[in-house]
Amino acid sequence: MTRRPAKTRLLAAASLSALALAPAAHAADKTLTISVYSFAQDEFKEIVYDPFEEICDCDIVVETGNSVERLAKIEANKDDPVIDMAVLSTHDAMGAARKDLLQPVDVSKLSNYDKLYDIAKDPLGDHLGIGYTFYATSIVYRSDKVTVESWADLMSPELAGNVAFPDVTTNQGPPALYMLGQAMGSEGYDLSPAIEEVAAHADDIVTYYVRSSQLAQLMQQEEIWAAPVGRFAWGRFKDNGLPMEWARPKEGQTGGMNVMVMTANNGNEDLALQFMDFWLSTDIQTALAEALVDSPANAEVEVSDEVAENLTYGAETVASLKLLPPDVILDSRESWLEEWNAKVLK
Amino acid sequence: MFEDKRTGLALALPAAVFAAALFLLPVGILLSEGFRNADGWSLAPYVEFFASGRNRVVFLRTLKLAALVAGVSAVIGYATAFAIVSLPPASRGRVFALVTLPLMISPVARTYAWLVILGRTGFVNQVLVGSGLLDTPLRLLFTETAVFIGLLQLFLPLMIISLVSAMENMPRDAVPAARVLGANWFQVFARVILPLTREGLVIGGTLVFTGSMTAYITPAILGGAKVLMLETLLYQRVTVANDFASASVIAMILMVMAFSANLLLKRLATARRAR
Repeated sequence: MTRRPAKTRLLAAASLSALALAPAAHAADKTLTISVYSFAQDEFKEIVYDPFEEICDCDIVVETGNSVERLAKIEANKDDPVIDMAVLSTHDAMGAARKDLLQPVDVSKLSNYDKLYDIAKDPLGDHLGIGYTFYATSIVYRSDKVTVESWADLMSPELAGNVAFPDVTTNQGPPALYMLGQAMGSEGYDLSPAIEEVAAHADDIVTYYVRSSQLAQLMQQEEIWAAPVGRFAWGRFKDNGLPMEWARPKEGQTGGMNVMVMTANNGNEDLALQFMDFWLSTDIQTALAEALVDSPANAEVEVSDEVAENLTYGAETVASLKLLPPDVILDSRESWLEEWNAKVLK
Repeated sequence: MFEDKRTGLALALPAAVFAAALFLLPVGILLSEGFRNADGWSLAPYVEFFASGRNRVVFLRTLKLAALVAGVSAVIGYATAFAIVSLPPASRGRVFALVTLPLMISPVARTYAWLVILGRTGFVNQVLVGSGLLDTPLRLLFTETAVFIGLLQLFLPLMIISLVSAMENMPRDAVPAARVLGANWFQVFARVILPLTREGLVIGGTLVFTGSMTAYITPAILGGAKVLMLETLLYQRVTVANDFASASVIAMILMVMAFSANLLLKRLATARRAR
């Protein structure tokens, strides 16, 4: 099926609808248009956007939305880009790079580049994306009910009827399946054995969750005792009044990373680079970490033990993460979805 | 009403232009994507969709739940509407306000309330276990039953409102007259109330069926991925597979189902009238 024309036409259709409701763009000498997740925008405005506007004497136009919407807009305006820089997951960024929507980031102009953890410096190759935050994914569990020492424990009889698993459509889904596969002795990145295992225990799994906020409520209501979850959501669980633990499975922890990207031919590269550099600076990365918004990719960031407890923090933690390569996710996610729907969601 | 048709047309023009430009055209473009493949115009996307066993299960589940919610809400709706119109005018207003009150609360909040009520430590299980009827709590969440209850609570007011409006237009002595002539309550309903309120049933049935079929939040929260419905599947195709063509197919199927339900209800109403 052809897709690009479909999306372009749909975007044109959506634009027609949006036309009447579009706010008037405000003119400025310099404007930087960024495309970001909707998450924690009040904090980002206070910590990143407003201070940068004062430094650069420019206006920042912030566009938010989910990855699909934002990528579709970048693609629809490929010939005359309206977005200068964007933040995406590594696999979405790789997808955009394959469609020639991105250009390499000139890291020689990033004064804070050398301060980044090695894992964040060039996760896509050719400097097409620069990691600015990452998160660990492990298992949260009720320590008064069970002990979790392995990803395989998710399918144990002790947790039957008391466990939730991330849906394959979420960012946590494939990494959790990957680690379950590792615990089962799978080689490489083949998730089929893990999907089969989940399907075999379908009646024991309470739900396949799509949002960590939903998961926190299920834990609070004692519907579940354990679930794989991203570290960014740990704060929702640790203070819920129940005995909660963050598992350190013997197979290790997995996770994900987000990257900054530069759209191709946007004509605003210098300002976008200045903004990226500002965001990656030790001060800003520290402020974002202390506000519990993002775990730092800048290795110079130092935070208190209390703050670190809520983040994916420290060189050792970062180095130990077993991440699924972005190209593997990108190339396989549709087949994973088909297999998941066929076997698990019978 | 107007002195000439042109005045009426001129007044309707802004709304017509607005609907055409900002609704019909985008929706037309969206739906046309479902009739394309690599070779151009084709019905292949629909054939591919229904070739999948899982898609057929999702389609039938959506149809079944929407029909069940519409049917049960019609039964409850008739009883409630009849009770409301039988009240004195002062009380009628108060009770009617109570019926419409849930519509003023966000569907998300209403659905989350069910998440608590139907939970293992929720009200329903507390009653069942506390009364000794059950030893262990029932697993109610993330089942078709939970989705059905959530959708019924969400859309029942629409059915009641439609039927109350229809019953208020009935001649006030129609039911007593039928009773005097010896009709039992079933005959009163089948031969008097139903024919006189069929328009309300068509409107209410269409609203409830279509709403249940296209609801996203309630099936997503109370059913989750274990109770996949067409709307949930559509979301999945767009957000994960980035597959707008399949999403267009699902959107078209949902639209056809909605129109078919409306036509079927109208046909039933007309058939009763013709008899």
